Amino acid sequence: MIDHVNGVAFGVFIFLFLLVTVLGFAAARWRRATSLDSLDEWGLGGRGFGTFIAWFLIGGDIYTAYTFIAVPATLYAGSAVGFFAVPYTIVVYPLIFLFLPRLWSVSHRHGYVTPADFVQGRYDSRGLALVIALTGILATMPYIALQLVGMQVVLEVMGIGTDSSNWFIKDLPLFLAFIVLAAYTYSSGLRAPALIAFVKDTLIYIVILVAVFYIPSQIGGWDHIFSTVTQGFADFNTENADAIAAGDAAPKAIMPPEPLQWAYASLALGSALALFMYPHSVTGVLSTRSRSVIRRNAALLPAYSFLLGLLALLGFVAIAAGVKVDNPQQSVPQLFEEQFSPWFAGVAFAAIVIGALVPAAIMSIAAANLWTRNVYKAFINRDATPKQEATQSKLTSLLVKFGALVFVLALSKDFAINLQLLGGVWILQTLPAIVIGLYTRWMHRWALFAGWAVGMAYGTWLAYGVKSPVQDHFGGPLVNFPGTETKVYIALIAVIANLIVAVALTFVFRAMKVNEGVDQTRPQDFHADAGDPGVEEELSPEAPAHA
Amino acid sequence: MSDAPVRSGSSSSSRWALIYLLLTPAVILPLWVALYDREDPKLAGFPFYFWFQFALILIAVALTLPAYFLAQGADRRDRVRHGLPPVPDGTGTDRKAGDER
Repeated sequence: MIDHVNGVAFGVFIFLFLLVTVLGFAAARWRRATSLDSLDEWGLGGRGFGTFIAWFLIGGDIYTAYTFIAVPATLYAGSAVGFFAVPYTIVVYPLIFLFLPRLWSVSHRHGYVTPADFVQGRYDSRGLALVIALTGILATMPYIALQLVGMQVVLEVMGIGTDSSNWFIKDLPLFLAFIVLAAYTYSSGLRAPALIAFVKDTLIYIVILVAVFYIPSQIGGWDHIFSTVTQGFADFNTENADAIAAGDAAPKAIMPPEPLQWAYASLALGSALALFMYPHSVTGVLSTRSRSVIRRNAALLPAYSFLLGLLALLGFVAIAAGVKVDNPQQSVPQLFEEQFSPWFAGVAFAAIVIGALVPAAIMSIAAANLWTRNVYKAFINRDATPKQEATQSKLTSLLVKFGALVFVLALSKDFAINLQLLGGVWILQTLPAIVIGLYTRWMHRWALFAGWAVGMAYGTWLAYGVKSPVQDHFGGPLVNFPGTETKVYIALIAVIANLIVAVALTFVFRAMKVNEGVDQTRPQDFHADAGDPGVEEELSPEAPAHA
Repeated sequence: MSDAPVRSGSSSSSRWALIYLLLTPAVILPLWVALYDREDPKLAGFPFYFWFQFALILIAVALTLPAYFLAQGADRRDRVRHGLPPVPDGTGTDRKAGDER
């Protein structure tokens, strides 16, 4: 670890951080809202973002700082399946192309702000909507915490932070960054991350493109990098053959061996299905102006997947460049520190830290919207005015961020990572209620509820039982598929159980004629577009369309 | 793909069939790991496994573009089938006036 701070790198970093802070507060005035006192304005940025803004916003939302730290870290550490992030972000776009325009239409017709709003309207069940909302909040919290972990890693490599053993003093810089973030999210809502995303993504693109062209040319080219890494992993496996055979160490590889091919594919598919169930991606999608904005972005957003793939390979570049760190997550920041001139290292560090602020803001807004719409409005104050809703959401967004901060600073980082792993498993259990609901009302609400409960319990239990060389529980995302020796992503197994229960019980409840509630939606609602009644071009805050 | 059992616009479903046909490889190929889980042939120093997955991103985009234009037309037909004007003009049936449900 470096015990001094480079003045130039630090200066550039502070300059860029101050720039986005100003942008974050100025965003309140962006796109002429007369008032931010409704969830449509504060929580969805006026529902008027076009293709260009949505590309930055959703891109900044999905490809988070933690992704940018963690994905190359897994390759650096020699995980054979680490590169699954690339097929995952290919598979997700056809799914977004097909499913999300329908969710967009029905949400605009009925003024739904959250996925749980849709479930409430479709299935007429506050209970089902509540568990969908709570699952979303539960899965989002550790995700926000991990953005902080990403920031912490960069600050550590930069050498910012004191040596004090007191956790509060030690992490003061992180604390300050987060207070600033909380303040402008509170005042500007979704407009803040939307505007900051421009800066963040421009910086990230420049840094990554320079990194993947410049650094390999300095250390002997890609051919040399791949052969160095292959040789290094082979040496590791030979030296640790006994430990690997005993299960005390994991073998390293650059690509999956045959037995792990299903693991690789199931991680990609499960993560893709889970991604657009996350409240923050739904928030990003609902903030767009029209259906075609979503579809156009399904063709444009893969540019980020390309970037992510290149970035992942920086894990290998770090190995070939001789970067030695105990915590693999520091490999890429450390690579930047060693290979770039100080001012550009400052740009790179700022890019990652700002890259954490954007998704952290969107996630806290999404979680706050879930609380406000599906707990506060549904159970506590059923006659809440749009203004009360906005106030409630603003306060909750502060609380959510503060919770995530305490999480990372006071509890262990591993705990946040374990919970993030579980978050993926949990959020996928909301898929049957949301996605199937977009096409048919055949499923019974209580069957969906039971399926959700089974999927949550089964998935958590499976994850609890996974041992790794360093952990007794929650050691990884893979278990043997029941009845086979093939490793598969837990979330996918749990959602299959979820679906089996939901379908079987739907037959039972229908045979028993259990009340299925009143569907608020009509078939044509799933095809509505901007300009139809109830779907204004830009919603005016005085007349929100909440049904 | 349809909400209602009534299918008046068959050309909408044939368009959707074509869209599914276009998008299916973008989902199946990345998940068919055995297809690309190998070192050779290399390209500019990259093992096949890596450069093929980068190529898949481009293939997926190339398939999504025609699907986008097909979906524009399919959406218009779906709207008509559900009693909405083909392009939003503010006159579509309002929330209270129902179709068959």
